[in-house]
Amino acid sequence: MPDVAIEAKELTKRFGDFIAVDHISFSVNGGEIFGFLGANGSGKSTTIRMLCGLLQSSGGSATVAGFDINSQADSVKENIGYMSQKFSLYDDLTVTENIRFWGGIYGLSDEMIAKRQAWAIGIAGLEGREKSLPRELPGGFKQRLALACAMLHSPKVVFLDEPTGGVDPIMRRRFWDLIRQLAEEGTTVFVTTHYLDEAEYCNRIMLIHAGRMIAVGTPEQLKKEYIRTPVLEVETERIIEAMALLDEDDRVEETSVFGTFLHVSIAERYNAEKVIREVLGAHNISPSRIEPIVPSLEDVFIHLIDRQEAEQKR
Amino acid sequence: MISVHRIRPIIRKEFRQIMRDRRSLGVLLVVPAFMLIMFGYALNYDVQHIPLAVYDQDRSTMSREFIQQFIHSEYFDFAGSISSEQEIDTVIPSQKARVVVVIPPRFSEDLLANRSVSIQVLVDGANATTAATAAGYLVAMTQDYSTNISLQALQRFGMSKPTLPIDYRPRIWFNPELKSAKFMVPGLIGFILMMSTVVSTSLSIVREREKGTIEQISVSPIHPMELLVGKTMPYVLISLIATVLILITGYALFNVVVRGSMLLLFLETLIFTFCGLGLGMWVSTVANKQDEAFQLATLVSFLPTFMLSGFAFPIANMPKVIQWITFINPARYFLFILRSIILKGVGLSALWQETLFMTLFALGITAISWNKMRKSVFRV
Amino acid sequence: MRTLLHMLRKEFLQLRRDPRIVQLILIGPIAQLLLFGYAINMDVNTVPVVVCDMDHSIESHDLIARFSNSGYFPIVGYVDKLSDVDPYIDRSKASLALIIPENFGRDIKRNASVPLPVIVDGSESNSASVGLNYAGAIIAGYSQNILVQNFSRRGFGGLHPIQVIPEVRVWYNPELKSRNFLVPGILGTLLLQATVLLTALAIVKEKESGTMEQLIVTPIKPYQIIIGKLAPFFIIGAIDIVLAIAGTTIVLGIPVRGSIWLLGGLSLLFIMTTLGLGLFVSTVSQTQQQAMMTTIFFLIMPMNFLSGFIFPIENMPKIIQYVTYLLPLRYFFEIIRDVFLRGVGFDVLWPQALALFIFGVCILTLASLRFRKKLA
Repeated sequence: MPDVAIEAKELTKRFGDFIAVDHISFSVNGGEIFGFLGANGSGKSTTIRMLCGLLQSSGGSATVAGFDINSQADSVKENIGYMSQKFSLYDDLTVTENIRFWGGIYGLSDEMIAKRQAWAIGIAGLEGREKSLPRELPGGFKQRLALACAMLHSPKVVFLDEPTGGVDPIMRRRFWDLIRQLAEEGTTVFVTTHYLDEAEYCNRIMLIHAGRMIAVGTPEQLKKEYIRTPVLEVETERIIEAMALLDEDDRVEETSVFGTFLHVSIAERYNAEKVIREVLGAHNISPSRIEPIVPSLEDVFIHLIDRQEAEQKR
Repeated sequence: MISVHRIRPIIRKEFRQIMRDRRSLGVLLVVPAFMLIMFGYALNYDVQHIPLAVYDQDRSTMSREFIQQFIHSEYFDFAGSISSEQEIDTVIPSQKARVVVVIPPRFSEDLLANRSVSIQVLVDGANATTAATAAGYLVAMTQDYSTNISLQALQRFGMSKPTLPIDYRPRIWFNPELKSAKFMVPGLIGFILMMSTVVSTSLSIVREREKGTIEQISVSPIHPMELLVGKTMPYVLISLIATVLILITGYALFNVVVRGSMLLLFLETLIFTFCGLGLGMWVSTVANKQDEAFQLATLVSFLPTFMLSGFAFPIANMPKVIQWITFINPARYFLFILRSIILKGVGLSALWQETLFMTLFALGITAISWNKMRKSVFRV
Repeated sequence: MRTLLHMLRKEFLQLRRDPRIVQLILIGPIAQLLLFGYAINMDVNTVPVVVCDMDHSIESHDLIARFSNSGYFPIVGYVDKLSDVDPYIDRSKASLALIIPENFGRDIKRNASVPLPVIVDGSESNSASVGLNYAGAIIAGYSQNILVQNFSRRGFGGLHPIQVIPEVRVWYNPELKSRNFLVPGILGTLLLQATVLLTALAIVKEKESGTMEQLIVTPIKPYQIIIGKLAPFFIIGAIDIVLAIAGTTIVLGIPVRGSIWLLGGLSLLFIMTTLGLGLFVSTVSQTQQQAMMTTIFFLIMPMNFLSGFIFPIENMPKIIQYVTYLLPLRYFFEIIRDVFLRGVGFDVLWPQALALFIFGVCILTLASLRFRKKLA
């Protein structure tokens, strides 16, 4: 499906003097799982709210499912599903009552609601729990129900704002299985998350920081861009001191602490391991292990943010 | 075992939290100020300026004199003359007048002939309290007039300088101008104290429980008693300050002077504050969330203190059953004590019973709540 | 339209499961009704008197008898010494002290003007002034009698005291029972509390839980949300109206002299204004607790005090009287009182009805506009 589900051009949002979203441009194709990554306060939620028609943009334009978000907000709402951060279901309505309500709000006929109710219960795995209240559901099921409720009207585009907050890793994996299933059936899924491991499940991801887009592409693309400078993992004692020492050396591009290890990236033309042993050895630090690693998205992310902030300082 | 040293940081924290909680602070300040102004200036049962209409069928000098005494008083205002019977029936429903005085055609004739006369007085009973008071004034003034007429008649009969055998000398104690404000202000102190202590105490305990900080504290070496003392001390202090402020304002605005012993006043206030604290503690053991606590605290402090303590409605008028209920209401005793000290200047000897009841209540409710708290709150 | 129905159904389902509802709609009103109906009584029924009779003559006994026979002044103590009077007044056992000096009987027959002190406890100004006036009337009547007797004895026969006798007829509330005007007034405070508080809380709860955000992403229109939220409480308000009127008339026995339909209709008009207020409060509160505090302290409390329910408006300073013109509860109390006690009709009450209507339209419009703005 080559059609463009979401397209944003120089989308901007200002709150007084504060620029929350700064001229963002991107496009999402139909059937894609598009991940939207960024720290809290980076402009993620603001962007998504603009795309859903919840917030008026200050500048630029965007279309969702072919409709303009500012002038055709009503049509946008009819064609999207949205799962908010608090995955809001009515805590005092049962599972079926919630489904019936949200279906009705989207204008589905009674037979349609019945059909979709069966689908929702099935896909969320809530057989036998139709009369439960959301707060009684075991962990992870609330999210699945919220997702199902957001899709009762079979929208083409679904926005999920941090859908797996506070859920254990197993349930998270199963939730993403669900997302993948939906995408395979043709729904475009636009997800925000700050779990970087989840980003690996997306077709393409976009990184946003301080309102600006700093990278977009498939996870492999992003790692490749970064892989130009190889990363080594260093296991040593006096890690903080070691890091400071390495930072001072011009040949070292970046250092960061990962757990109890150091990740160091050194410009390609040098023999990385030799450089490290040389710098640390001069201060009597002898690392026990130095190994090249495949950079994770987290590495990429931190690298890109650091670069962005360094640029801004200039 | 209990170290004052550890209590201090708790007191300090509590004060800081109070200062930062704008809303509760607002309530603690705005509500008393509002009530003070309301009850001092706006809300009272005094009878003044009641519109009075006259159907004078005599239209003589005497009848006019008779009417004048009403209109010249501060209690009644002239609301117009009625010229026909039919008009009488419309003037009260339309609320042009709340009192109508009907003077028969031979008013002056009869009086001059030494005969008694009846006049009709119609009173709008919709507001019973003011109606009763207004009727009372009317009756009294009419009686004065009658007395004057009698004296004049006696003079005509030849008695020189007739005087009444009885010289009625009413002396109003404690509140010579009969201003409701003086009655209300002591009541206000009680009302404000009760509400603020109960609400603040319960909210502060429940808030800690909700946020989980109480768990944090209970794993520290702090003894539960220290925690409690630390949490409640600030409110005791605030209550005393509030009392002083209200007394000063009462003096400045309404001339309410404390006739009795200030020391006794503060002592009783202290005891009453502990009643409120105990009650607040109890509420915190029953309510789990902040808004539940707030609701319950307001219910428990507002209702009994406003309705069932003699603040606005006299207890003596209530049915016996309800009067018995007021026996366990500390506000009832406190109000009585406050009014006695402020307005009447009596001492402990006259008030020992009430003081005893209040103390018992404070001890009782604190003991019960403390017991419950020890079990639930601190064994988390 | 169907969307609206779904909103309504959801609201009712939620209300059914909300434990507070029963409290606020049933227990609260009934408790208040009973309280005001039975407990609150501002009537000054009796003024207890302590008598200090230092004369013990026929005349003094006669005077005392007039007091006790009035039914108004129960005598709670007889003392001989002046100093024994103080404890009665100080401890509030008596509100009035009648002090009959020595040689009272002898002196009044001599036509000397005998001072008769009467001490009144002014701390409770209401009953003080009533007691004062009636005591004065009794004493003056007695005084006149004595005067005439003295006169007759001196040979001026055929005299009797000349009196202007007031025949007092009380309209609407012949026994001057305060509960007759207090209890109907509860209808007003009840409706105010129930509708404003519930409405504000319900809307803010959706804001708090995030379901409001979920709602506005759907095709639902703001006006549908507003109507969906307000309609259930309109119905609850109507139920409360019926309950309160039934409770007042049937259980407490206070009849409605005017038209119940008029009362019901105007009550519905009143609910319009309170719902608007509730909606407005929801647009200025972020949490349920804020909503509750705002409603109780800034709306319900001031309105309850200033609307002429217990304390007459005409006693308030002019400035505050002007403020009360902005309070819908003020007009509603006038309506309640007039229909209950005075039995008047729409021809008299149309100004109040108009005021309520205007207020209702204004506040609903203002609140709706704010609500829509907040959504965008």
